[in-house]
Amino acid sequence: MNYSQILIDHFRRPRNAGMMRHPDGVGEESFDGCGDLARFYLRVVDGRVAEVRFQTYGCGPTIAASSAGTELASGRPVTELLTLGEAEITEAVDGLPAERAHAAQVVAGALRAAARDSLTRRGSPSQAKESEHV
Amino acid sequence: MSRRVYLDHNASTPVHPDVVAAMLPYFQERFGNPSSVHTFGREARDGMEVARGRMSDFLRVSKEEIVFTSGGTESDNLAVKGVALARGGGHIVTSQIEHHAVLRACQFLEGQGFEVTYLPVDGDGLVSPDDVRRAIRPDTILVTIMHANSEVGTIQPVEAIGPMVRERGIPFHVDAVQTFGKVPVDLARFGIDLLSFSSHKIYGPKGVAGLYIRKGTKMVAVQHGGEHERRRRAGTENVAGIVGFGRAVEIRGREMEAEAARLTGLRHRFWAGVSASVPEVRLNGHPTRRLPGTLNMCFRHVESESVVLGLDLKGVAVSAGSACTSGSVEPSYVLVAMGVPVDWAMGSVRASLGRGTTEADIDYVLEVLSPLVRRIRELSPASVA
Repeated sequence: MNYSQILIDHFRRPRNAGMMRHPDGVGEESFDGCGDLARFYLRVVDGRVAEVRFQTYGCGPTIAASSAGTELASGRPVTELLTLGEAEITEAVDGLPAERAHAAQVVAGALRAAARDSLTRRGSPSQAKESEHV
Repeated sequence: MSRRVYLDHNASTPVHPDVVAAMLPYFQERFGNPSSVHTFGREARDGMEVARGRMSDFLRVSKEEIVFTSGGTESDNLAVKGVALARGGGHIVTSQIEHHAVLRACQFLEGQGFEVTYLPVDGDGLVSPDDVRRAIRPDTILVTIMHANSEVGTIQPVEAIGPMVRERGIPFHVDAVQTFGKVPVDLARFGIDLLSFSSHKIYGPKGVAGLYIRKGTKMVAVQHGGEHERRRRAGTENVAGIVGFGRAVEIRGREMEAEAARLTGLRHRFWAGVSASVPEVRLNGHPTRRLPGTLNMCFRHVESESVVLGLDLKGVAVSAGSACTSGSVEPSYVLVAMGVPVDWAMGSVRASLGRGTTEADIDYVLEVLSPLVRRIRELSPASVA
């Protein structure tokens, strides 16, 4: 299997790995028919992701995509993560082989879930959205 | 370049330098078609027949009982379909952990109206001879049981199964692709009528294998188009490959016994090191009835492919028991049949040692494996209480 150097680097030196205590949002995604599972934790300050961490069970690409996903999420408005797509994750690891495309799906889904959770905890998603524009 | 350690000899082996040297003249000097009557053809045929003689000497059978094929998969297909189609119908006994070459051939035959019994295995991966006896019916036309499983290395009790099957007058096929040239295979004592064996597992070239067919075994060809191999396998023979295979077998005849003892020692060293340095790891396969160089382990809460990738980045080649393909990952069917729990089976890794493997290689792998598994587990939500 051919993986990009960026993917290999994230697998070799995962960024922001591990659990977070008392996060503002937590989200998980698993993949049907595949044991892969990603969980993301968010710390949110002023509507932006101040800190993000992940825990992932899966093949190398899913671990690498999780690491890359934390870099993508860091510093962004939480509301932006609600629409985070797989393509962005795939691009962040400089491409995935077709048979490993699920890595991006798991990671994007888990980050979206974490964003939803943080907004729900803060209040209704609509209120949270309004606050982003203050 | 950092260190490279190849521990995937059950997948394929490097071609022995003497084998390469033996093959070379058959590409440009003795390149003739062995079916041709002229000198070029005779030279090729002579080389091929020397190789056939080495096979027959090694297996202690007659040359006429050896058929060359393109690989273990073809040998298995020829054996299973060749015997079955000669009968036209009936019942076949096999096991759940056979190579796909046998399993898929059996499934094909089921589609043609044959019936197949897939026997279970125990926790060590062993087929019970009693189960074979009970499965045999009056209309059973073939029993096919592998000698050793490529994944876990368990060696089946073919010496108990074969004579019992022969007593009943049923052909007995053994897929010995993983044992041929590694451990003794006594065809007469084991009561074997058909034996599949391959070249590239024993330091010969890819694309060539053999099938022993005991004289008198009723079967038909499954590939048509010529009179080659005594009408049992049509197609111009892979002469250079067969010559190389012959040399590889000759070398194994000299080295097999000492190599088996050496690899057993290295495997013990490997497992002792892993079990001492990595928590939550289990050995798969029978503790003693196993291939000398095959070690299959399950690391709990680890997805095996991440271990394979992590080791690959350290220059170490092993294989994963479960493969994540097209977004669907399933644990190995062999481990499932053995009753290994799924959360363990997903983390199965096979290391298969060979003639180039040294103690220093094993020690290096042990040095990198333990921190790798620990790191992957630290990343996993499953390992956090």
